[in-house]
Amino acid sequence: MTRRPAAIDDESLIAALRLAAGRDPVPGHVPATARAAFGLRLPGAATALPVAAPAPRGVRDGGEERLLRFTTAGLTVDLEVTSMDGLVDLAGQVSPCPEEGTRVEVRTPHLTEARELSATGQFAVTGLPPGWFSVVCHRPGQVPVVTSWTRIRP
Amino acid sequence: MSDQHTIDAALAGDQAAWDTLVNRFSGPLWSVARAYGLSAADAADAVQGTWLRLLESLHTIRDPGRLGSWLFTTVRREASLLGRRSRGERPVADPADAGGFRPGSSPAEDAPDPALLVLSADEGRRLWLAVEAMQEPCRSLFRLMATAPDAGVHQLAGRLGMPSGSYGPTRGRCLNRLRTMLTAQEAAS
Repeated sequence: MTRRPAAIDDESLIAALRLAAGRDPVPGHVPATARAAFGLRLPGAATALPVAAPAPRGVRDGGEERLLRFTTAGLTVDLEVTSMDGLVDLAGQVSPCPEEGTRVEVRTPHLTEARELSATGQFAVTGLPPGWFSVVCHRPGQVPVVTSWTRIRP
Repeated sequence: MSDQHTIDAALAGDQAAWDTLVNRFSGPLWSVARAYGLSAADAADAVQGTWLRLLESLHTIRDPGRLGSWLFTTVRREASLLGRRSRGERPVADPADAGGFRPGSSPAEDAPDPALLVLSADEGRRLWLAVEAMQEPCRSLFRLMATAPDAGVHQLAGRLGMPSGSYGPTRGRCLNRLRTMLTAQEAAS
């Protein structure tokens, strides 16, 4: 006999009824994208987790700006996210500024954009599709640092 | 292959092991996301995010028996955030409130996950048997809800012949009744 907890929430009941009714099956592209996501794994990378970011400096005309901060031992990645016309621009700052030769990748489930860090630790990527993304920082001779997956909506 | 072997194989880079997890859980995860009232596009987003989070957290799941529970906790959270945002409660991005969300570290970790228990084929059949034994309007309401997942409240209420404002409260009462029936069955078994 399975032990049933006191309360099954409404959503779980609805989900179970619908799952069993079979009238709203998961569309094929959803598991296909999930299978393909395996190619994005980075074994051994250090994950930088989101922490409270300083308040945005302001909102630009026609766009919306948001600051995100991710940290792991010894490295912080700050991202300024701007969405305009349904696309997303990212401007990033890695601190403390890593040594020369550090490479940054901005990844989405569908595309990866690579950038060299500037001498001051900055990078930018424009025109990303909205949705999930993560930033990887490859420093010479050290484990990569990867920001926890984050969703940006237009 | 046990869950432990599947997780170990995926951690070692075995795509087929990962595919096994994706194939097993995608249907239930989808249904959970949709149960939060998400559109197909938003539900796809919530499920995708769940797999991406698993990808970055797989090595932290020490107890393979918790994998399903972990996935359902994660998709519920993503779906509920997305649902709130699509209702305009907050415009952009999500992670600032992610203050250390790690499903595995939840204090409720020891309770069996209700979604996990109820989202199995056997339980699904049992649920529908219970629904078929219910009186109106609950029986029709559940049938309609299950077969017209994209119908809005207005449409559902119209089909049931009730005012739109009654649909939500009626659905709540029917869900409570169904829960009570399941609990009674459980006690009797």
